[in-house]
Amino acid sequence: MNYFSPNSISELFNLFESIKNYTILVGGTDLMPGFENGTPLPENLIDLKNISDLSEIRETTEEIEIGALTTVTELQKNLVIHKYFNALWQATKEFAGVQIRNRATIGGNICNASPSGDLLTPLYSFGAKLKLIRSKSERIVPIENIITNPGEIALNNGEILQSVILPKTDFQSLFIKLGLRESMAISVVNFAIVYKKNCDNFEHLSIFAGAVAPTIIRLKTLENVLLDNPKTDITANLIVPDISPISDIRASANYREQVLVNLLNNEVRRMNDEQ
Amino acid sequence: MKNSKAISVKINGKQVEKTIPTHLRLLDFIRNHLKLTGTKEVCGEGECGACSVILAGKIVNSCLIFAVETNGSEISTIEGIAKVDELSEIQQNFIEHHSVQCGFCIPGMVLAGEEIRKENPHSTRDEIKEKLAGNICRCTGYKKIVDAIENN
Repeated sequence: MNYFSPNSISELFNLFESIKNYTILVGGTDLMPGFENGTPLPENLIDLKNISDLSEIRETTEEIEIGALTTVTELQKNLVIHKYFNALWQATKEFAGVQIRNRATIGGNICNASPSGDLLTPLYSFGAKLKLIRSKSERIVPIENIITNPGEIALNNGEILQSVILPKTDFQSLFIKLGLRESMAISVVNFAIVYKKNCDNFEHLSIFAGAVAPTIIRLKTLENVLLDNPKTDITANLIVPDISPISDIRASANYREQVLVNLLNNEVRRMNDEQ
Repeated sequence: MKNSKAISVKINGKQVEKTIPTHLRLLDFIRNHLKLTGTKEVCGEGECGACSVILAGKIVNSCLIFAVETNGSEISTIEGIAKVDELSEIQQNFIEHHSVQCGFCIPGMVLAGEEIRKENPHSTRDEIKEKLAGNICRCTGYKKIVDAIENN
């Protein structure tokens, strides 16, 4: 295995000129267990950790731009994220343990494209956009256009994720995760709600769920019903049109559906009770 | 194919230079090449924390890192925690609180404890428990471990 650790973005793009088959390494917290469990080592491993341009967090009046190499610990300690993006901050608190949070990055969590990636559900619900760069061009694309299937992302060869852009709003938000134990567990289901209330109604409402479909999905049917009547009792038929859960080692599809209904009811009732 | 690389790291205050295979995990570098066997392997996939070391001031799982990634860094292992003849406060507390049963998780637990106390010497029990989430003890000795980290 050839190991490369370019020190700048231009050095990285030079490397892409000569190397076509490569695996990108950042925190390694998903990659390394894969190697441990039989994934063959790549011919070329490119470590991005020395590229400091990828780890900055920049704030403007309208948005925050989070460098792809920002670790979960750094997200958790960032005051802007705590203030404007509570659901994302909450997800960092539920994310594995300290040792993993010190290595795992926001870019890695996105590019690993797990249906149960804890940071992904909040990112979708805040309308995150991804800045992708190549040697001579860049594009900014909604996150849902990039994550296509479990473990699959629509990045071109020679293209990398530079940063994640989140628009600042005055919306409130929350993140709920159910795992088989309280910590160090992969989500059985998780969801994020971003909302703004106007008297008893929702002026803004976006609800996304994780681990109940091949990618993070929007509970559009439920959103529409709640926008119409926020006091609606949530039943399975309001989420079934949007989800497609599977049965796996962690839970059955039926359990995922029912527990999602119950947890959503808890949170929406609590939101309705807020003044 | 270039399957090895020279690295230079500072381990427990001592500069070390070695040429190692690129696929060598930091854990194996520490245990097999440097013969520092206080760092343990249990799960090998980042769940249990037995292989914890302090890399560039942060606690990490050495089983999830290639040694080549640490080139130029400073690393502390459990062997670097005590002064020459004197245990650290946390190590002494582990003895006084009888926190050790089989002992296999303890190097990682002590390092996690050191990190918790460094970040906030007055951490509450709940904070300590939350920050110990990445360290698993299968003798179920958590109470006495938390006692040792808390009580100072």
